[in-house]
Amino acid sequence: MRDRLFITTMLLPSMVLLVLFYGYPIFDNLRISFTDLSLLGMKKGGNWVGLANYRELFHSGEFNHILFNTFIWLTATSVVLRLLFGLGIALLLNTRAMRVLRLAAVSRFALLIPWATPPIVAVVIWRFLLERNGFVNDALIGLGLISQPIAFLADIRTVWPSIVLIMLWNTVPLIALSLLSSLQTVPEEYYEAAELDGATSWQTFRFVTLPFLMPAILVLGLMSVFWSFNNFVYVWLATGAGPGTFTNVLATEVYLKAFVDFRLGYSSAIGMVMAVVMGAFGILYLRLEETL
Amino acid sequence: MLKLLAAGLIASAAIVGTAGIAAADPVTITFRFNDTEQEVRGAIDEFQKQNPDIKVELQRIGWKDARNQFLREAAVGQGPDVAHVAQVWVTEMGDAGATLALDDFLQKDPPPNGFADFAAQDLAHGKDGKIYGLPWTTDTWAMVYRTDLLKEAGIDSLPTTWEDMRKDSEAVYKKTGKAGFGFPAGSSASGAMWFLANFYWWSEGKALIVQKQDGSYALGLEPADVVAAMNYYKQYMDGGDNPQSNLAASDAHDPAIMQALVSGNQAMGAMPPNTYKEILKAYADANPGKEPPFASGPFPHQPDTKSSMIGGRMLVINANTKHPDEAWKFVKYMASQGVFANFYRTQFPAQNSLLKQIDFGAPLKGFAEQFPFARTWGAYASGPVPIGTLWNATQRAFGKALSGQVSTEDAAKELLAEIGKQMP
Amino acid sequence: MAATGSRHWRDPGAWRLIVILLFAVVTLFVLVYPAIYVLVGSFRPGGGLLSSTETLTFRNYLRIFQAGFGRFIFNSLVICVVATVVSTALSIMAAYAFSRFEFRFKRTLFMAILFGQVFPWIVLINPLFVAFATLNLINSYVGMILTYTAFTIPFSVYMLVGYLVTVPKSLDEAAIIDGASRWQVIWMIICPVMLPGFVATATYAFLLCWTEYLFALAFLTQTELKTLPLGLYQYFGDDYVDWGAVMAASVVTTLPVFLLFLPIQGRISPGRVAGAVK
Repeated sequence: MRDRLFITTMLLPSMVLLVLFYGYPIFDNLRISFTDLSLLGMKKGGNWVGLANYRELFHSGEFNHILFNTFIWLTATSVVLRLLFGLGIALLLNTRAMRVLRLAAVSRFALLIPWATPPIVAVVIWRFLLERNGFVNDALIGLGLISQPIAFLADIRTVWPSIVLIMLWNTVPLIALSLLSSLQTVPEEYYEAAELDGATSWQTFRFVTLPFLMPAILVLGLMSVFWSFNNFVYVWLATGAGPGTFTNVLATEVYLKAFVDFRLGYSSAIGMVMAVVMGAFGILYLRLEETL
Repeated sequence: MLKLLAAGLIASAAIVGTAGIAAADPVTITFRFNDTEQEVRGAIDEFQKQNPDIKVELQRIGWKDARNQFLREAAVGQGPDVAHVAQVWVTEMGDAGATLALDDFLQKDPPPNGFADFAAQDLAHGKDGKIYGLPWTTDTWAMVYRTDLLKEAGIDSLPTTWEDMRKDSEAVYKKTGKAGFGFPAGSSASGAMWFLANFYWWSEGKALIVQKQDGSYALGLEPADVVAAMNYYKQYMDGGDNPQSNLAASDAHDPAIMQALVSGNQAMGAMPPNTYKEILKAYADANPGKEPPFASGPFPHQPDTKSSMIGGRMLVINANTKHPDEAWKFVKYMASQGVFANFYRTQFPAQNSLLKQIDFGAPLKGFAEQFPFARTWGAYASGPVPIGTLWNATQRAFGKALSGQVSTEDAAKELLAEIGKQMP
Repeated sequence: MAATGSRHWRDPGAWRLIVILLFAVVTLFVLVYPAIYVLVGSFRPGGGLLSSTETLTFRNYLRIFQAGFGRFIFNSLVICVVATVVSTALSIMAAYAFSRFEFRFKRTLFMAILFGQVFPWIVLINPLFVAFATLNLINSYVGMILTYTAFTIPFSVYMLVGYLVTVPKSLDEAAIIDGASRWQVIWMIICPVMLPGFVATATYAFLLCWTEYLFALAFLTQTELKTLPLGLYQYFGDDYVDWGAVMAASVVTTLPVFLLFLPIQGRISPGRVAGAVK
């Protein structure tokens, strides 16, 4: 009984806030998605159109392309790479060698820099570094790897890798630092036991370190997927969803429909579809996690 | 004794209170100005001096978000009293009920030279014919040239036809290796190709959206017209005189393009006057004492056609304002000759009488020459399709065509189909 | 327990050191170079982007502070620090409940918190704006703090639960048997052990608030209330961008983060856990 009171006290403040800030707008959006509300007509309200917005969305020729961009490039590629690099850097920072070289503290400090950089600044800087006479091209030409500068953000062959690069620069530090704190909670005696059993570095990693990190990796992975799938800023600021509509993703489509075409009803429908997709993904993911 | 004291205190409090209320509380109006504060600080201070009972609070929002923000706020009864808006937003804002109709004010308390003196009046009217904004500043785009590069390529006069422009650009590239006409070929929703495409069409006497005699609106272009424009600009990409990397640039003020002009790596550009002034400034900073080798000229046109747009800003009064009279006083003041002559000098006034008095200076001569051959967006803004939609669709189509993603024929067909779908 | 000082195979050999050094240097370079680019650019006219002059100047900084940047720093600090503190505290409370107890609806509630995240923020703005306008929360610290708290809780709770499940319940129970209340358990046992995790979570929440733009733009229109990202975005004008100001503003936006987290960095130290979890 005391427990019940305690649990309620612990959970109530958070739940109240979440209901107000998520619950209410979500229901409002659901309602709006069945109307043709326009930003210009906010005073008057919109007319009920039922499923028309959804039908239009699924039948639009661009839908598959946008979905592909969002799923494969924006989300899958960037999250997988983010976790790999984050893990790599965390492991690097945790090694003895780093402590010997006294680079550990400096590196942790350095990781804060990309993380603390607001996305627009990150995009601006990288756009400049990726210019035809920017640093990256100069370096590649200097190293003899290419002979002509590459228009990274204009060429459809390189535009997605460039966007992913910018996202990685801005988000890997979070993963790295989180995994680093997890790594540092691994008790020493586990490593010692492994050593006593004659394990190689790889085996130690696979059977001692990795299981310990798994919960954190799964958490970060899921959060990264949600956040990337819904992300708008990077694509918008780097290419404006271009060239043409090549890098259009769901979130930029929402922005275009809501704030350029003023079609709030239609963009709410896209938002609901995004939520359902992510919701389904989340459920599958958690099922998978339980079986591991 | 105590009772007397208490009564005395209450009485004096009441007197002080009412005295405070009796002395006129200054009315505070908010003015949302979206460029840098320094440009209008002097004007605002002067206004407050002249009108001690009105205080003006300055707000700012970046242009990219200004329209949505204002529409949102107006819909819920919020927002600044006076707002700085783009010309082409006024019609839709008036129709949405976000701004106050100014007809009464213009009748009772008109600006010194009358409303007829203002440029871009057609854009200030809502669908109901009422006037919803006061044109404030105006500008136009023109071509900008590096005379030293042109000379190096053996060109001694500025081009006056579209073909000459291409020839000159090609010549610069072939003879000097530097970029010719480096225009932003990117496809972001509010990019520059929209302007370049329309200037091309207008110079041929055509337009994307036209208003017919009976008042209805229609598409004014055939697929062949769109293909012609796309093919024209694609020549520059294919020929290499506009570097491929400009497919990633969407704004006239893209830093890479500006840098190329400043450092002499590009011979021709297209832009509004403020961007040009920044380039001149950057050149002067980097080369103190040297004469800037820059000139400007109008876009190619025929004697009876236009080849650039009259862009500009207007001042609107929020429909929810609690101080309409003070707001109008302020608006009228900001559009006065004194303000443009003494304080607000970074933009050109949107009044013909005042424009005549401006000395553009040698490098900006091209802009002065362009003004008589510039037109407002007209039917584009008053038509059924929001200008933002037209802009975005055109950008996407040109982006796909110029990058080679689709053929120009297909891109042209797609564009007209998409816009046609939204016309009634 | 034997001291971990003198294990031979653990002391890295020369080759190992070199390889690690190489990786470390490349990583550090990629992480830091872009920031140096901005730092240098902030002292150049035009941000060093429009021309290649080598002159150095303070004018960019003067300009942004004259435009009121000092005020923006203050606003961001107040809003973000308070929001982070409140959000982390509430999240720790919720996460503790989720990690230690079984109760009806536990799964549902947990899912609900998690799945709040599935919505793109842009579509949430309009309804919230209308609600805030009615409640007079536009242009207020309170409104922003509540917003940021609400939006950082889901991630924080999820992360903290992940951390807290690694601390065995036996620890709590031992303390309770010794007479401690739940609150004392949290304060005196969980917090010290989980401090690195709490700090990481709070850091994430803080940075999310610090660089947030969409909601700040919609809810803060009076200049004296604006936060740093708004101040920064303002320099992206219509006809040109004031690159020098953008660079200076970027540096000013990033610097306070370092000053805040430098002292805390030391707290993330290894080895403290080993003794406690016995």
